[in-house]
Amino acid sequence: MWVDLFRFTPAEVVALLLSIKVAFWCTLAIIVPGVLIAWLFAKKSFFGKSLVNALVHMPLVLPPVVPGFLLLLLFGNQGLIGKYLHEHWGISIAFTWVGAAIASAVMAFPLMVSAAKLAISQVDAHLEVAAQSLGAHPLRVFFTVTLPLAWPGILTGLILSFSRSLGEFGATMAFVGNIEGETRTLPLAIFTYIQTPGSDIPAIRLVILSLIIALCALMGSELLERRAIAKQGRCLSD
Amino acid sequence: MIEVKAKLNRKQFVFDVNYQFTEQVTGLFGPSGAGKSTLLGMLAGLIKPDSGRLAIDDQVLFDSMQGINKPIYERRIGLVFQDSHLFPHLNVWHNLNYGFNLLSPVDRRFTPNQIIDLLEIGQLLNQKPHQLSGGEKQRVALGRTLLASPRLLLLDEPMASLDMRLKNQILPFLRRIKEEIKIPMLYVSHAIDEILTLTSEIAIIEQGNLLAYGNFHEIIHQDNLQNMAHSLGLENVICANVSKHEMMYGYTELKQGNQTIIMPLIAANSGTLVTISVAASNVALALSRLENVTIQNQLQGVVTEIKQIGYRILVTVDIGERLIVAEVTTKALQSLGIAVGIKVYCLIKAQAIRVHGVIAS
Repeated sequence: MWVDLFRFTPAEVVALLLSIKVAFWCTLAIIVPGVLIAWLFAKKSFFGKSLVNALVHMPLVLPPVVPGFLLLLLFGNQGLIGKYLHEHWGISIAFTWVGAAIASAVMAFPLMVSAAKLAISQVDAHLEVAAQSLGAHPLRVFFTVTLPLAWPGILTGLILSFSRSLGEFGATMAFVGNIEGETRTLPLAIFTYIQTPGSDIPAIRLVILSLIIALCALMGSELLERRAIAKQGRCLSD
Repeated sequence: MIEVKAKLNRKQFVFDVNYQFTEQVTGLFGPSGAGKSTLLGMLAGLIKPDSGRLAIDDQVLFDSMQGINKPIYERRIGLVFQDSHLFPHLNVWHNLNYGFNLLSPVDRRFTPNQIIDLLEIGQLLNQKPHQLSGGEKQRVALGRTLLASPRLLLLDEPMASLDMRLKNQILPFLRRIKEEIKIPMLYVSHAIDEILTLTSEIAIIEQGNLLAYGNFHEIIHQDNLQNMAHSLGLENVICANVSKHEMMYGYTELKQGNQTIIMPLIAANSGTLVTISVAASNVALALSRLENVTIQNQLQGVVTEIKQIGYRILVTVDIGERLIVAEVTTKALQSLGIAVGIKVYCLIKAQAIRVHGVIAS
């Protein structure tokens, strides 16, 4: 019977691959806006900063079903933006894997911003001044000094976001539902098994798979971060 | 020529300087919080004055009337701080070339190899900044700045975090930069010795104002600098020629006019000019030459002035060609009957003489 623990059904493989696809696109989508917002938070003061900060971090404290429902109101086929997209472009986001990626992105965004903000604010401002005094435009300073030095922290944010997306449940469920092959990611597949009587073995199978993925992600991030720091040639005494 | 005319008002601090720096190298000297770094910050573009005008030769950096305020990256002003601020993720070679690569070839005054040879950092090129010693870091920072071909080099306490041994690994290079490269420099320090090794041309800043400027040996005796001179023990600053070293007896003989000054051995070739100082409190007076005493220097002179500042009594003695100030008590003054016009001997222990380094010619 324990052999069943490793006998994945085709539907489960699809759920695993879908999870990874959603997480990949979610992470890719938040890199640029995440780093940009983080840079603004770390370096600039502007009117309404604390409000923007609160809005960005809202998904961390809200029940995930709330952002999911709000997304539905916005991007559903009858939603504010979704209606326009559907009527003029024939695009529908709700109940598709793209919607799942968007739901994940909203939930992961605050993690990305927090990690990147911390990393960027820890870059010694004197280095940026030194670079400017050597003739570098602030934009060049960002790409040649700030970004490389903040990279380990940004990398942490990306891995956190990827992991968060793999675990996304509530917002996804509310926004794109639980459609096999389209939006049924690993957590939703586990949920489906739990809801089905006599499916404990496949549920445990996916739980173990989730544990392995989570462990790999966390240990991988640790490794990448350490390597990134070593590459910068920083040591503890600095 | 560097034109500085700037006003800045902060809660506890008013900065108001109007001066044109014409010397190639000027030392900015003053207590901490006096506004030295503020002045450098304004020139570099880190601090915006409330009003005024800053310019190098004919190039305007800032002009409140015309609404000009060039950003840091367009000023071409080199900055070297106490900490080298090398880019930790780049090796020495890439640090050196950071500014150089941004210049159009016509603006490049030096090649990397020239600067690497000048600063003797050729063996460090592949190393990361954290592998370098403090002195090496500062040399690389200097090189990185020079390769950006600045029109002005601002040095803000570049040696403050280095110990004496490491300072001696930097100073010769600063002198080389001064003599071989001839970039205008403003050198900020609260250590007068450091400045004097590089230049005698000094501007003294106190509480946001330029207190005095000119040749250090001339201005240090000005009345408005007496408090500062006293707190630094610099009432008597003397330029003297090294005449000979007596290795056997452990002393160096200096000549100042027709007077001979003896001090513990110093590292300077005979014939070179050195700056030495004696605090007024280390000068004693005697009415006649003393025998049977270990004090080596007994300089004969005539009292020209007796001044009282608070409880301090300062007696000025003309020893021929220059004046020596001695600090005595009222009691000593009265019991010896010292008055203007009287012949006295200034007694100075050899060990009380401080040397401020070889004067940069």
